[in-house]
Amino acid sequence: MTSRRSLSDIAVKPFYGPEDSAALDYEKALGDPGSYPYTRGRRTRLERGGAWIQRELSGEGPPARSNAQFRYLIEKGAAGLDVIGDAPTVACLDPDNSFARNSIGTQGVSLCRLEDFRELYDGIPIDRVTLSHSLPGWFAVAGIYLVARERGVAAEVLRGSVIQTPLYAEDYCYAVHMPVELRLRLTLDSIEFCSREMPRFHSFVEDTYYVSDGGPDAVDEMALGFVEIRKVVRELVARGLDVDRFAPRIAILVNCRMGFFEEIAKIRATRRLFARMMREEFGARDPRSWSVNITAHTAGSSLTAEQPINNVVRGTTQALALALAGVQAIEISAFDEAYRTPSPESHLVGLRTQQILALETGVARVADPLGGSYYVESLTDEMERRICARIAEIETMGDAAELSARGWFRTMLENAMVQRVREIEDGTVPRVGVNVFRMSDDEDRLLRDVAETKIEPCWDHAERIREFKRTRNERPVVASLADLRAQAADDRASLMPPILAALDAGATLGEISGVLRLAYGQAYDPFGTDKPPAGLFGDAPEGMLA
Amino acid sequence: MTPERVLVAILGLDQHETGALAVSSMLRDAGMEVIYLGRFASPQTIAATALDESVDVVGVSCHSWEYVYYVDDLLRLLRERDHGIPLVLGGSVITPADGRRLREKGVAAVFGPSASADEIVRAVRDLAAQRRLAH
Repeated sequence: MTSRRSLSDIAVKPFYGPEDSAALDYEKALGDPGSYPYTRGRRTRLERGGAWIQRELSGEGPPARSNAQFRYLIEKGAAGLDVIGDAPTVACLDPDNSFARNSIGTQGVSLCRLEDFRELYDGIPIDRVTLSHSLPGWFAVAGIYLVARERGVAAEVLRGSVIQTPLYAEDYCYAVHMPVELRLRLTLDSIEFCSREMPRFHSFVEDTYYVSDGGPDAVDEMALGFVEIRKVVRELVARGLDVDRFAPRIAILVNCRMGFFEEIAKIRATRRLFARMMREEFGARDPRSWSVNITAHTAGSSLTAEQPINNVVRGTTQALALALAGVQAIEISAFDEAYRTPSPESHLVGLRTQQILALETGVARVADPLGGSYYVESLTDEMERRICARIAEIETMGDAAELSARGWFRTMLENAMVQRVREIEDGTVPRVGVNVFRMSDDEDRLLRDVAETKIEPCWDHAERIREFKRTRNERPVVASLADLRAQAADDRASLMPPILAALDAGATLGEISGVLRLAYGQAYDPFGTDKPPAGLFGDAPEGMLA
Repeated sequence: MTPERVLVAILGLDQHETGALAVSSMLRDAGMEVIYLGRFASPQTIAATALDESVDVVGVSCHSWEYVYYVDDLLRLLRERDHGIPLVLGGSVITPADGRRLREKGVAAVFGPSASADEIVRAVRDLAAQRRLAH
């Protein structure tokens, strides 16, 4: 017996007919693929022979090990790279921080200095491969920009992206221990910097994946995404930036759960909403500002520790939904997701799944093949209605940054997380191998050995960083951090130039972040162990440094 | 009898919070009091809070491997000064073999990804009752 309600709690009829999409005005609501309002996709002629950019999330150990992963993925046919930082890196801490000790390089790559970016991208054709970064946005922009400069690659040709997470990260999985004003400023400064220096680079990926995985449903996912996009766009426009300078480089990284048609409808509704918002509300004139680039990860939270091979099937099904929805890039969450960052085996299966879908099935030959389906069009309208209503509901309550500071989003996210677990626990949402068709541990062995292999923290890398800090030329480090601190105190200054200078001078992610935290009235090290380089902040109150 | 008091925390820099929040909610529904320490806890902050709050059981949600390196310190601190507060671990990264090793070390109960709410609630309630009898 299957439920008559979708995962987002939309009632589903036994079948749909002409009356369900009777009010549909083709030109107004759909348009051909490649034309306003882009419901049916961004492009008339699909790129790359009809397929999407195929990539897999990677990142493990010290930078050199991640570099080896990159080479492996490219050799196996990946057209793009997406690197995720380990827990200390995404929290803006150095690996030699004592609280970072047990998580160095285990759930992503450890990066904290310019030398790490050099090693990460060593031998990688950064002018040809698209480089996506699930890292603190400003840090990734600074790293790739400096590496390109050293290698004589013009910043204008760099392609790829960074996620920007100013409003929700602190409450949900990506806490950097900075107040919302600082997170927002770093977001705006790095986007503004890229709009001038790296015009082909997507400096604003609205990451609705992380903020919805294991939490908000598809409607709330996109409502949160739009609330954040709208806040950032308004702030950039308020700085005097022309919306068409940066809007063409906004992308949305969406989640894709098991609700097959709902996810497709969500993506179609998102393209339409974005186009109308940009043209009608923000006055964008460049059609590239109207047609949002959508990339996707298949839902890690839909994957199970039980019977891990079933996750290959889940990833395939979700990737098919994404291919039918017409996204620009896909990453399939690895079958060993519940246990670890992707093993080489799961990387290969993910890539091969995408290659089989793209090359053998022909799903990408025709743009928006589900367009006109009574059900899909009706569901697209319904998703759009619900997402709009939710955006309005949230924005009516106040400024998004204030809501964030007040903890409103935190409460919403907490409730959503609890609800997702309860749906599985009480069986409302079936999950094969978990609440239905379970197997004993003794019987459930297929792929378990791969999935259960643990990665040891890279203590030797932390030792390298300690040695680096002991032996580097300290004077330019201290001088650049002092300048960063001075610039941080000036609201009108961009933080990117002093950040670039500091990274170039040998300062680290943890040091730069610590200085910024201090400038915003927070402790240098949120866990009270790290101290800034000697000679800096002799005047800061002791308690702030401890 | 006063409600059981349970501390729920996540060790180190692991930011996966769904499990900890969901278990807290289930324990509260079962009538227990949950002291939610949340993310970024260390063995020291957990032990200190457990003592301050006079909890009956400490529960740690594990979705990274950091627990492997923290668990000995945590067990030692919870045993020190005659606290004897039982430690329960749960999470998707804990394999059946890990569970056996953890129980040998002295972890009072271990839950893998397949554990039901009922199992967790029952085990925590039993451990709290045993501890209250012993004190």
